[in-house]
Amino acid sequence: MLGHLKADDFINLMEGTEQPAAQRIHLDSCARCREIWESLKPLYAGVTSLDAEIPEPDWVEFRSSVRDELLSRSVQRQTVVRRWTGWAIRPAVAWALSLLLAVGIPTGAFVWHLQKENRASEALRARQPLPGSEMIEGTEKAVFDDMIELSDSEQAQFQQLLEAAQSGTHAYND
Amino acid sequence: MDGTLPVALPMTAINENRDAELVERYLTGDTTAFDEIMVRYERQIYRICYRFVENREDAMDLAQDVFIKAFEHLATFRRESSLKTWLYRIAMNHCINHVKKHSQEFVEVTEYTGSTHSSAQTQLEDREQRDEFRRMVKLLPPKQKAILELRINDQLSYEEIAKMSGRSISTIKASVFFALEKLRKLVKEPVIKKAR
Repeated sequence: MLGHLKADDFINLMEGTEQPAAQRIHLDSCARCREIWESLKPLYAGVTSLDAEIPEPDWVEFRSSVRDELLSRSVQRQTVVRRWTGWAIRPAVAWALSLLLAVGIPTGAFVWHLQKENRASEALRARQPLPGSEMIEGTEKAVFDDMIELSDSEQAQFQQLLEAAQSGTHAYND
Repeated sequence: MDGTLPVALPMTAINENRDAELVERYLTGDTTAFDEIMVRYERQIYRICYRFVENREDAMDLAQDVFIKAFEHLATFRRESSLKTWLYRIAMNHCINHVKKHSQEFVEVTEYTGSTHSSAQTQLEDREQRDEFRRMVKLLPPKQKAILELRINDQLSYEEIAKMSGRSISTIKASVFFALEKLRKLVKEPVIKKAR
């Protein structure tokens, strides 16, 4: 087996690459290598002949189909990017809204509650007069009413009593 | 004028510079660069795809997928290899994955009647033989088939294929050899085989 041609050598021979003289001599003298070499040559040519029958497509149509496909993919990709960006932004918006609602609702309720309390107390204050003024008003009213209900002589007597009280003397003492 | 002629750049270097310029233009939003890249590579990529599926419609679908993948990832193209190598690599991987995914399909191989003495045969017989041979090529493992076609039909250099597949040059040469060897065995001993 020693000295037989190797795969590289056969290929170089087939392609007409410069070969060392020793290999040429071996090929002429070795029946086995010669047989391999003779059987491979037509196969090499056979593979070449297959290429001649390839039908040609319409290149303009082919080019435009590649261009269209590239364009449509690019549009699809942009849509996907936009969608994903939307999804990325959406949680942030959701968080902000939640925070706003979480803080805003209790704060609003608290402020509203405070205002309601103030209004109620003001209304109560408006409806209920101060204890002092009520007494004075009541007294005055009662005195006035009593005076209205008194007869003329009684009124005169009562007036005298009042004046005496104001001046610190008693009418009875007189 | 010093009388010396400018040294011409090798064709591959010119192509690579042009590709780099086209990529830059495309990435900066120049839509005309798209058409230029397509015109430069659509035929080659389509042919790679066709060899895997052997029908026009599927090949067009595969080639379309390859270009869409490439344009969508053009910004990640690191210019460590040429645009051509990069596109070929995407195409090869895409087609190999496609073939693996659809390997359940029924494959029938009829007897191969030989191709070394076709001069005496009619055109129809030639065609039948080519169809049979094509079916045999289809039976090769996807990676081996891909390497064989890249070398023989796309005439990519071994360096380019090695760079594309991340293998050494001698591994690529061995792959081509073993693919041919396998074909030789199939020609010698044709089988009727149902793929798993």
